Amino acid sequence: MTSYLELSNITKAYGNFTALDNVSLSVEKGEFVTFLGPSGSGKTTTLMIVAGFEKASGGSVRVGGRSISELAPHERNIGIVFQNYALFPHKTAAENVYFPLQMRGVNRAKGLRQAEDMLSLVGLKGFGHRHPKELSGGQQQRVALARALVFEPSLLLLDEPLGALDKNLREQMQIEIKRIQRSLGVTTIFVTHDQSEAMSMSDRIVVFDKGRIEQCAAPLDIYHSPQTSFVASFIGESNLIPATVTNAAARIANSPVLGSFDYAGSDNALADGQEVTLLIRPEHIKLSRNPIEDRKSARMTVETIVNYGDNALVIGRAGDIPMRVRVLGADVVIIKEGEECCISWTPDSVFVITR
Amino acid sequence: MNTFKRWAGILVTVFIAAPLVIVVPMSFSSASSLQFPPPGYWLGYYRAYFTDLDWLIPTWNSIVIASATTLLTMLLVVPATFALVRHKFRGKGVADLMMLMPLAVPHIVMAVGYYSYLGDLGLVHSHMGVILAHTCLSVPIAFLVLSANLKGFDRNLERAALSLGASPTKTFIHITLPILRPGLIISALFAFIQSFDETVVAIFISGRDAETLPRKMFDSIRQEADPVIAVISTLLFFLVLVGIATPYFISTLRSRAPTPSRSPAGAH
Repeated sequence: MTSYLELSNITKAYGNFTALDNVSLSVEKGEFVTFLGPSGSGKTTTLMIVAGFEKASGGSVRVGGRSISELAPHERNIGIVFQNYALFPHKTAAENVYFPLQMRGVNRAKGLRQAEDMLSLVGLKGFGHRHPKELSGGQQQRVALARALVFEPSLLLLDEPLGALDKNLREQMQIEIKRIQRSLGVTTIFVTHDQSEAMSMSDRIVVFDKGRIEQCAAPLDIYHSPQTSFVASFIGESNLIPATVTNAAARIANSPVLGSFDYAGSDNALADGQEVTLLIRPEHIKLSRNPIEDRKSARMTVETIVNYGDNALVIGRAGDIPMRVRVLGADVVIIKEGEECCISWTPDSVFVITR
Repeated sequence: MNTFKRWAGILVTVFIAAPLVIVVPMSFSSASSLQFPPPGYWLGYYRAYFTDLDWLIPTWNSIVIASATTLLTMLLVVPATFALVRHKFRGKGVADLMMLMPLAVPHIVMAVGYYSYLGDLGLVHSHMGVILAHTCLSVPIAFLVLSANLKGFDRNLERAALSLGASPTKTFIHITLPILRPGLIISALFAFIQSFDETVVAIFISGRDAETLPRKMFDSIRQEADPVIAVISTLLFFLVLVGIATPYFISTLRSRAPTPSRSPAGAH
């Protein structure tokens, strides 16, 4: 079985430094896949190898069953949107969008009509005659998107395209890009270091760290069942508690600080005595004055309260373990900074991470 | 403090502008040699300049030599700049230094060197000799201008073009070259002016056959101080003024014009 885009055992070394270590990935046709990771994690390098601007030290890239590793960038038929958009300053918006068609021998009148149609699709009807410097950041973004899509590329690559936009515009563009991507059904790889962007847009998220793929799964699976503590801490907020499995059959682990834990489940087979990390998301923890019945509870010293209005983040320590608790903004009035309070959770909000 | 700044500004302006203020009236002077203030005014020296072959031939020589120098300079500098700015190679530091060397060495030293070197090649007193020498002097200037432009060039533009299906050659023609055009023009202009303006090397090697305008002016001021020199200075001054003012004027006109509702097909 082969997928539409196949990366097999891609490695990339710069001298002694390994930028990519055996990266393999399959993407289905029409899928929206996000590469997520901190800077230097290898996500952009992987994208550049797919685009052909970087040469892999080993491994292969196949699109539609055909190897493209030996093709020059201009022979790959891949649309790219760069972070700074890279619009041609000496051409109008319509001429920018016409450029890939021009390179494919489409005549000017027909190509510019097609370019105008594409600009309408991205919501820029009537802006074709403007030069890039006469357009706002969001509009330039749309032109870049139109230009990367007008020639019906086999892949669309987006390299942190929303990084330069302000927050409101960014959210608007997230929705726009998703809409356009769905309507055209183009297979898309989106690179970002913004986890909320990844969560809201992707069919699947590939989490990169130190040149490796840490996990590749649907957004909610990544959030609820992270395979490594890196993924757990990178996606969303997390409380990570080191523990030892004491009774795998009865699903009980022990933390030296917080004592015995019931956990509901784990994707992995666990053995007695195995060292694990327990993940509890801040929104699954309840804050109270006194212990609540039927819930595992611990005492926490509150250090900082950050109130966002609708919700509040309570930061403190249980023993020597830093804890974060997210509560409704109205509920936070029961405690004050410096006080001790009770935190509690149910077994099904405890997720076991083995790595 | 502000008063001081204002006076300093006025003083500097006066010092810079003074030669121009003197030269322009002198060109209309009726005196038989350079003299200020002029005793009377007429256009005789303008007529003299435009009819006397002793002036027209050096002018023509200067134009030919500066044009050829510019062409040769750009042929050398464009590939050299791309190589030095974009690539790493062994001996790059030395190459960089060699490119800029003629800028650091005094012209008189260069002139003596060219005199003996071109003499051995039999190129002294020839157009070709002056062109070669001037090219050596123009290369570092054109290189400095162009490399500053190329360093500021966003390479993602080229990557974008490649990803959109343009071959490296087409990318260069459709994207790199048009975007660098202002830099290329300015670079070429500097090369041209450098050659057109150059006197020291020209005095040493141009001879009678390839006599350039600055050399002729220098000879003339030593021998007879012909007011035609003031005519030429004035003409050059206004030429430069027009050259500087034109782009500014055009851009002002453009920004004042109402945005035309061009059809996208007609927009170019």
